[in-house]
Amino acid sequence: MAIVEMKKIRLAAMKTDKRRLLRDLIRLGCVQLAELPPEEGDMQALTRRMSSDAQDRRGELSRLLSAVEILDRAVPEKKGLLTPKPEKDSEVFLQDSGVKEALELADSIIGRDERLRKLSADESKERSAQLSLQPWQSLGMDLSIDHTETTRVLLGTVPAKTSMLDLNAALAVVSDEAEICIVSEDREFKYLIMICVNEVFAEVQSALKPFSFALAPVMGMEGTPTEALGRTRLSLEAIAEEKTALQSEIESLSSRRDELRLAADRLCARIAMAEAEERMAATESCIIMQGWLPAADEEKLASVLASYDCAWETEAPSEEEYPEVPVSLRNNKFTNALNMVTNMYSLPLYGTVDPNPLMAPFFIVFYGLMMADMGYGLIMIAAAIVALKKLRPRNNSLSFCQLLLYCGVATFVGGALTGSFFSDVVAQFVTMITGTQWSMPYLFSPVRDSEMVLYGSLILGVIHLNTGMAVNFVQKVKRGETASAIWEEGSLWVILIGGILWFLDIGNISGIPIVLIIGVVMLLLGAGREKKGFGKVTAAVACIYNTATGWLGDVLSYARIMALMLAGGVVGQVFNSVAIMPMQSGGVNPLTILVFIVIFLLGHAMNFGLNILGCYVHDLRLQCLEFFGKFYADGGKPFTPLEISGKYNNVRR
Amino acid sequence: MDFITSLGGKGIALVGAAIAAALACAGSGKGTGLAGEAGAGLVTEDPGKFGKIMILQVIPGTQGLYGFVIFFLTYLKVAGAEVSTEAGFQIFAACLPIGIGGLISAIAQGKVAASSINILAKKPDHWSKGMIMCIVVEFYAILCLLASFLMLNSISL
Repeated sequence: MAIVEMKKIRLAAMKTDKRRLLRDLIRLGCVQLAELPPEEGDMQALTRRMSSDAQDRRGELSRLLSAVEILDRAVPEKKGLLTPKPEKDSEVFLQDSGVKEALELADSIIGRDERLRKLSADESKERSAQLSLQPWQSLGMDLSIDHTETTRVLLGTVPAKTSMLDLNAALAVVSDEAEICIVSEDREFKYLIMICVNEVFAEVQSALKPFSFALAPVMGMEGTPTEALGRTRLSLEAIAEEKTALQSEIESLSSRRDELRLAADRLCARIAMAEAEERMAATESCIIMQGWLPAADEEKLASVLASYDCAWETEAPSEEEYPEVPVSLRNNKFTNALNMVTNMYSLPLYGTVDPNPLMAPFFIVFYGLMMADMGYGLIMIAAAIVALKKLRPRNNSLSFCQLLLYCGVATFVGGALTGSFFSDVVAQFVTMITGTQWSMPYLFSPVRDSEMVLYGSLILGVIHLNTGMAVNFVQKVKRGETASAIWEEGSLWVILIGGILWFLDIGNISGIPIVLIIGVVMLLLGAGREKKGFGKVTAAVACIYNTATGWLGDVLSYARIMALMLAGGVVGQVFNSVAIMPMQSGGVNPLTILVFIVIFLLGHAMNFGLNILGCYVHDLRLQCLEFFGKFYADGGKPFTPLEISGKYNNVRR
Repeated sequence: MDFITSLGGKGIALVGAAIAAALACAGSGKGTGLAGEAGAGLVTEDPGKFGKIMILQVIPGTQGLYGFVIFFLTYLKVAGAEVSTEAGFQIFAACLPIGIGGLISAIAQGKVAASSINILAKKPDHWSKGMIMCIVVEFYAILCLLASFLMLNSISL
């Protein structure tokens, strides 16, 4: 429940052991290799950076992945949403066998897919040829003929509305040794053949221009239109046949999908090792590496390294190195849920505090208050339990499911406190049946006690913010900045206590809230303590302004707890009223029951969807903006050890 | 003055209800329309994303629903009741926040939703961030709904 203590490790081993060592490290999964610092002096001449085959492996991996994608597209896999990834022993990931065969398989799949694409392109080409040939069917002439010894021939189209009389008249003006005939026509075009003697060809062409005469694409094709049509039909048939054959081949290969996936995961492990290798340096016979490992895993590593001829040492990072130290959060089942929030925001800096245990109770309580509905809570709990059991999620998805579970419980409790089960559906039914106003028992209701709920939300906010300040206070004292802690957090606390005392009318000397005034004076002195002369005044003014507006804004922001609690309830209530109306006016019969069920389900599905997301976003904002603002130092880099992690398979633990 | 009294409290209250529903629904119509246009463009490229596009498109639709909620509550309140001119004006005022706030926030949210559809097109892995940005706008519509609701709740006929 804290930031895991890391140690820096330096290791030098024999080059001949490199492969075995990398495999042992990836099995351990607890060492993150870091870039070596640039060498100086003699070492620079002796060592060189290692290169690796990571690039080639990545290329192979992408071939495997696209083959899997092709298979998934051709034969979508039938599996439920909740099927977990298969689990395999770590040794399985480290075997080299099968990768070569899988790559060959992938290439054959990709090749077939490419051929399929080519065929589809050919097919559309043939189809358009077929379309353009159809109007010329009645022409018995070989299309490749465009001239004889003395004449020229043109095939072309003009828009359908062009009059043949006009065309002939225009040609007659040019020469009487030119003729134009209509072959066929459809709604858009007239299909024409023009024959003229060689000498007047150019004039005829320019005479035809004003009529938008366009050359037909069929010109130059071999054989008569009928022959050409026959040819395209044949080739279309051949294409279709080949396509079906290729498709069924791909489909039959889809049974080997898992083989491809396993090979892809094996390649992932090899890439991880190759990338680690790139971070090493080597001399003639040695390899040198540097990295980070959790202090708790040192013994595990020591027992593995015992069998090597190597030299290694670990040391705790110095304070200057803290920004470089990778951060891993150690959590129990409860606080792990909040990893989802922390990871999305930013990890804490090494050497600061892990926010998860501090945030967890607030996040879950706030969520429960905002959502506050027994029915919705039950749905969330059920969904979370099913997902946890069936999916066996890991890492971020595990955090998500856990968070859903805890927030579901909190939502249920919140609903019990406010007497809300799918808003007021029970109350409406009871009222309808008994005819007297009835409502679920509740401790407080956002509709009836909105003012109290609002103040309650703000008080929760003050508690939340003060927790953040307390954390900051402790951190400052630990760092030896006690003065700053007392002047800043301390004086704010005095002001807070003074304010409460003033409100309760305790300890006022002749009506003057003495504690409050002491607090303000402390704050002002604190703000100006490092400034001189006039600077003290401006610092004090700025400090009052910032503190007043900042705190006011921060605390008022918690009003959203009340707002969301109320809004979810009201919208649900209206859906219930609309759904139950036909029953009230038309009596209970199958039709009105059906109407009720449809409106109830649709309305609450929408309200639930909107609320589950809205409450999450607003809870997140309260944590990340208001709470974190008081103490959090972010910017930690995540700890990413050299380990086996597959895209399609999980490692059995 | 006589003219206003002659309208009757119920009439004034119903004008308020009409404003709540009409403005908020107009806003939602515009907002979902903006998102829908962007979404339709993306569907031509990648029909597989339709599900996610639809989620983004319906987000600006909630303002219309909130407007309808206030309309409905007002309607239930005044139907079959005697409404004084004074109470009519109070109800009218209570209907304004969700009408005006809903109209403007739905359009603004529609723009965010349309841009989020861009995220979905270019960086599909990060589309949920777009959804979160839409929800930020949603909060102000919720506040308007609450303002209307609290006012409406406090008026006794």
